[in-house]
Amino acid sequence: MSHISPIDSVGHDSDVVFDNIGMTFGTGTGSTQAVANVSGAIPEGKFVSVVGPSGCGKSTLLDMVGGLLKPTQGTVSINGETVTGPRKDTAMVFQEDSTLHWRTVLDNVAFGLEVKGLPKTERYESARRMIELVGLSGFEDHRPGQLSGGMKQRVAIARALAMEPRVLLMDEPFGALDQQTRQFIGRELLHIWEKTRNRVLFITHDIQEAVYLSDEVWVMSARPSVVKEVVTIDLPRPRPEGTHSLPRFRELEDHLWALVKVEAEKTLGPGARLA
Amino acid sequence: MNVLTKPALGQPKRKFADLQRASMVRWAIIVALVAVLELTTRTGMISQSLMVPPSVILAELASIVPTEQFGQDAARTLTTILTAFSIGLVLGVPLGVFLWRVPAAGRILEPFIVTGYAMPTLLFYPVLLAVMGLNAGPIIVIAASMSLIPIALTTMVALNAIRPILHKLANSVSASPQQYYLKVLFPAATPLIFPGVKLGFIYAVIGTVAMEFILASQGVGFRAGFYYRELNTADMWAYIAVVIVLSVLVNSVLTWLEKRIRRDML
Repeated sequence: MSHISPIDSVGHDSDVVFDNIGMTFGTGTGSTQAVANVSGAIPEGKFVSVVGPSGCGKSTLLDMVGGLLKPTQGTVSINGETVTGPRKDTAMVFQEDSTLHWRTVLDNVAFGLEVKGLPKTERYESARRMIELVGLSGFEDHRPGQLSGGMKQRVAIARALAMEPRVLLMDEPFGALDQQTRQFIGRELLHIWEKTRNRVLFITHDIQEAVYLSDEVWVMSARPSVVKEVVTIDLPRPRPEGTHSLPRFRELEDHLWALVKVEAEKTLGPGARLA
Repeated sequence: MNVLTKPALGQPKRKFADLQRASMVRWAIIVALVAVLELTTRTGMISQSLMVPPSVILAELASIVPTEQFGQDAARTLTTILTAFSIGLVLGVPLGVFLWRVPAAGRILEPFIVTGYAMPTLLFYPVLLAVMGLNAGPIIVIAASMSLIPIALTTMVALNAIRPILHKLANSVSASPQQYYLKVLFPAATPLIFPGVKLGFIYAVIGTVAMEFILASQGVGFRAGFYYRELNTADMWAYIAVVIVLSVLVNSVLTWLEKRIRRDML
């Protein structure tokens, strides 16, 4: 499998740059190479999604940008600085419910800023702004136990946004939600992002979601994963309600499906063809 | 944890009525039991050398409580309980954290701790008395060691039960170790640690009163034991009543605290 770099020249200093990174878990014969030779960059103001078969190391890639995992090969750099651990200018949203159940929505959203050491009035001010942005106004004093799954994810998104990250890292944030909530909250995320324009690295296995949200979709191969192809999503923004039924949308979706299918078959075996 | 922290959303009024009815029935049972005791002791079905009528106990209590001796006994018992519990808490929580942080130590030490739980530690009381003398010291050692074990074990279990995503979250926002413990770990673990703390307090009460009963120079338990040996049934029951009231009081305070902590943690 030849490795195709997502972009020909490595990006600007201000970008998030992957320089030939790889990740191997374990050592010796029992080791697994999860990610191999990934290079690329997330330019300023771009929404990049990563799709690929299950277990292809998408989340590993994200954890390396977030500084939670150290690549065993190559480096990730943000703003020209090599990522060595969690940074103050990245923020993560996870698939699972990561709200703090004993805190109110307001204190959950303010959590990241609290850890940063911002005084109470300041962090509540921006937390309230983010709560409004994600459409949870009126729920400030509720606790996560009183919220639906979709609302809890909005709390997590607001918490991440409140930290005003240079890079927003989202690891299948809607993966645990039902289809309806998922589409609805995806649309909301897009509205929010069009206002904030952070860099986003978005992991998903939902191809339609990836096309709808992104500027670029990176297709990862089966393990050991490389970026097999970078598909530029040239749909105009803003993307209104009917975007899903545009012929170009279908084209891109089909193209991505074909790419992912080949990789999924490699992981799952020829039986996958029947599915 | 979820079930416990979830507020009652559906029909809260009916739930309240149910609770009220349950509490009424509970009080009716207590009143009935006291009435039965009064009747059986008065009629001689239960010998008055074993049990005196509750009304006599109450009268006895009324005469005991204002005395200086009672004040000293109560103060002694309470300070012993609080000291033992504080030691149990101050040593138990860090021990639980250690057992959680160093799983190998947990695997090695857990059987010892669980054995300590099952062992009648009061057997060491005479030895401690010989070493430390007839004062609150030996009682504090025994009661504290009884109190420490449930606190340490539940702390370990509670920390193990924390959703892994919370560790990832704390890590992703670069929380300092202090923030990690105070803002994430302990609040998340509190609903599970608290029952252990409650048990620890109850063990401190049991340990203190039981050791006082066996041998001491002061304290509520000592006084009950003293009257028992003097065959003074009425005074013995009066002191037993004091211990029962104390236990119920302590338990109510802890239960109230538990609910508050769950609702307003941090």
